[in-house]
Amino acid sequence: MSRRILLLLALALAGRGPAAEPVAARTLYAAVSMTKAQKNSPTPLDSGLYARGATGQWTLFGPRILGVASLAQSPADPGVLLLASADGVVRSTDRGRHWRKATGWEVGDVRALAFDRGRPARVYAATAWGPIRSTDGGATWQLAQQGLSRLYCQTLVADAAHSGRVLLGTEDGLAVSTDGAGSWRRVEFPAVTVLRLVQSAADPRLMLAGTEGRGAWLSRDAGATWSATDPACATANLYSVTLSPHDAAQLAVGGWEVGVHVSADGGRTWTDRSAGLPVPRVFVVAFDPDVRGRLWASTFEEGTFYSDDLGRTWHDGGLYGAYASDFVFLTSLR
Amino acid sequence: MILISAKSRAIMALFMVFVAGSAGVWGGETRPAGSDAEISRGFQARQAAVIAASVAAIDPTNPTKGGYYDVAACLQRGEKREAALARLAKITAPTPTDNMFWMFPMVTVMMAGEQGLDQPARDRIAELWRTYWPSRGDTENHWVLYYSSLYLAAQSRPDAGPGEWFNGRSSAENMAEARGYLEHWIDVTTSYGQGEYDSPNYIEEYAIGLSLLSGWAKDEGFRHKAHMLLDYILYDYAVETLDGYYGGAHSRVYPRQIVVPGQTPAKAMGWLFFGLGEPVLTGTVQLLALSGYTPPPILERVARDRTQPYVERELKRTRWRLRHAGPQSFVIGDRRTIPVYKYSYVDPDFILGSTQGGLLQPIQQQTWSLIWRTDLPVSRAANTFFGVQPYSSPLEGTMYFGGDWDTVTNLIARSKADYDTPDKLPSGSPFEQVCQHGSALIALYDIPAGTRFPLVTVFFSRDLAHVDEDASGWIFAQGGPAYIAYRPFAAGEWKPNDWTGLLRRGAGGFISTGFDQWGEGHRCYVSPALRNGYVVQVAPARKYASYDAFKAAVRALPLKFSTAAAPEATFTALDGHVLRARYGATPTVDGTPVDFTHWPLFESPFGHATRGSRQLEITHGPARLLLDFARNTRTESVYNVQP
Repeated sequence: MSRRILLLLALALAGRGPAAEPVAARTLYAAVSMTKAQKNSPTPLDSGLYARGATGQWTLFGPRILGVASLAQSPADPGVLLLASADGVVRSTDRGRHWRKATGWEVGDVRALAFDRGRPARVYAATAWGPIRSTDGGATWQLAQQGLSRLYCQTLVADAAHSGRVLLGTEDGLAVSTDGAGSWRRVEFPAVTVLRLVQSAADPRLMLAGTEGRGAWLSRDAGATWSATDPACATANLYSVTLSPHDAAQLAVGGWEVGVHVSADGGRTWTDRSAGLPVPRVFVVAFDPDVRGRLWASTFEEGTFYSDDLGRTWHDGGLYGAYASDFVFLTSLR
Repeated sequence: MILISAKSRAIMALFMVFVAGSAGVWGGETRPAGSDAEISRGFQARQAAVIAASVAAIDPTNPTKGGYYDVAACLQRGEKREAALARLAKITAPTPTDNMFWMFPMVTVMMAGEQGLDQPARDRIAELWRTYWPSRGDTENHWVLYYSSLYLAAQSRPDAGPGEWFNGRSSAENMAEARGYLEHWIDVTTSYGQGEYDSPNYIEEYAIGLSLLSGWAKDEGFRHKAHMLLDYILYDYAVETLDGYYGGAHSRVYPRQIVVPGQTPAKAMGWLFFGLGEPVLTGTVQLLALSGYTPPPILERVARDRTQPYVERELKRTRWRLRHAGPQSFVIGDRRTIPVYKYSYVDPDFILGSTQGGLLQPIQQQTWSLIWRTDLPVSRAANTFFGVQPYSSPLEGTMYFGGDWDTVTNLIARSKADYDTPDKLPSGSPFEQVCQHGSALIALYDIPAGTRFPLVTVFFSRDLAHVDEDASGWIFAQGGPAYIAYRPFAAGEWKPNDWTGLLRRGAGGFISTGFDQWGEGHRCYVSPALRNGYVVQVAPARKYASYDAFKAAVRALPLKFSTAAAPEATFTALDGHVLRARYGATPTVDGTPVDFTHWPLFESPFGHATRGSRQLEITHGPARLLLDFARNTRTESVYNVQP
């Protein structure tokens, strides 16, 4: 890699926001591909997990693998980490010092991971080729496709209130399992690709889904029934949705050409909070669990931003040139 | 693609000296194959010439010259060892960046040069495998390259534990995973057809992976199976080649090679393996020569025997479809695909071949094409004629890639610059349906309003002679020894190739390099009619007293077509058969619907395989070669020729 590219990369990864920030209990990890500088090449300049330091700088964490999509931490053992990547699930048992690919050739394009909080040995993953599950904390994996007519999936939620209950976002809407991904049945939901599904930490009955072409959908009964929300985004591709861990009334969605929309009243009304972002093309939105009211948004290749006033104003959070898949806040691994 | 076009002219000149000095090295396109011994001698001479040229590329006085294969050749031959090791130290010093495209050159050095490596080189190689995580990629060829390389790299260090590998898995685990995938891929390929089928560009990736295994896998059964599959894939090429040019429909072909088919890796392989055409030194040719893989003589016989026209039918499949698989899709294991029905008419002077149309591959599909014999040099011969409905969409992108709807097209075009342009030449389209019988073909289009590029394009090469827009509505042309008649159903206009100027201005990096050499002088007949179609009739010039006689014969052929509703056409071809096609319906030949249900995996005078059989029987005269993947056996008949 030339010095010029390294310099560009360093600039891209350096945050340019305010230096003074609250001391966080958790660290923010961003799963990104550096596509902005990708010219005449099928692969991005760089790809992997980046950890945000106390002064806002971003540093590579874990192996540099193409197609890193997300990261999960075992609730039973914070040293156990699982990385979702194009090459499969990659696992560390020593807080990220060493990594091991935990899946075989059959598994690829892993997009999302979720530990079962009630039984942390159980882990579920959504892959572009179908869901998989582990019963040994992610050390080994099995296909988990029974009951699905179409296998593509890229998001899932392990219900924090009911061990063994998993909701899966597929090409054909939502599916639910009540036996730890042993079998699936379809949930009443539009037959569209579900791009992102989250559950509220403040109120586990609250779930929010972003879809491809059908906007945002809200459930107040843990995914049993769903209704459309945010009419202004009704036909949008919403790549990210988030629910505040501190206030169940605070919701946000992010998508293509719609930027960031925020609700402060549980989804009854929504406000476009894209002003101040360089482009209204947002792939990640995430409430910060350590800083009450802080909302993160990552744009397509034009940087990451955070807001401490629900999107009224935005601050530069670095990662210029990145195409982010997920932001994950984990207990410090240092 | 790994053509090493930047290789110095001096090395190429050296290579030519070696070639010219080797008896029997030159291919004679029209010369029939000789005896087994002659075929073997010819191949060995070409192989030796390639290796000698590779050794010559290492310059002891200049450690900046030479690549992995040159180093491997020196170490294999025990020549210039110190210089080769010095060069290896230089090229392995930086952290690799090419993922699986780094793996196989590295493995070639490890395998071919195993005896010549010194301890520092071994240490550096081990360090790279420990620290650099090469991506597995996302296409069939990527995975074959990745796993064949991983298998051999792990085999070379059988006792290496998880801590010695980038992925934290031991050598035994890596070998098991690699073999598991490769065995699965071989089963699927020999049962349902290849997914990335018949690519003049990407055939080399499969040859690389399989030749590495066939050369150096220590497990005899696995080595044998890899050798058989390379035989299989080379047969697939040999039966549809004309002088090394890969004819017919292709899963993937780049804009340069679709226009100038002689610049394909397939053409270079045609020379190495069968002595067809001019020698071309590429990295792949070097690797194949070093691997020691030797094709069975029957393949050269098939590749050269063009004494009689024949029809080749083949069953392939699409790349795996992640989403939007459609009602025609079926499942193999847990992956969805749809069948691809290939039909090629192989004449001694041309090949006209097609698939049924539709989105059969992302990005670089060629649904049908014609190539003809030519005396022009491979570097500039544009001996081809084809049509395309230029299509790009997130639907296609997300069908085959795990990308996001709103960015997938953009990201595809970062490396395939022509993908999202109206003047693109390789493309599949969901609005295209093609049927062929013999040397006649009907293409129909029903393009919805609002489609991104609502066009139908037919490519007219600069090599075509006597292009004549006849008052009858036919457009006639002559491509070398082939007469061509093209009857558009809707009016179009003539435009230069690359009429947006995208490639001419250098977009796409290597894709457009040298455009002035290969891209200039062609034109396209571009029609904007949404309901559209055409008939193509090809005939060998040798069958007619004159070009005018051919034209007169075509003008007299019954043809009815309509684009008022669903496009349809009924055409009585020169051979008397009646083709009838209606958009959305099964085509008929002489009133009988084309039987797609029983389409063979391979069927021609030279080969036969049924769907699901995991067998291929290759025949030529009295010679027979049965490749049986279920039993992992090859059965060869006794040749009835003089040794």
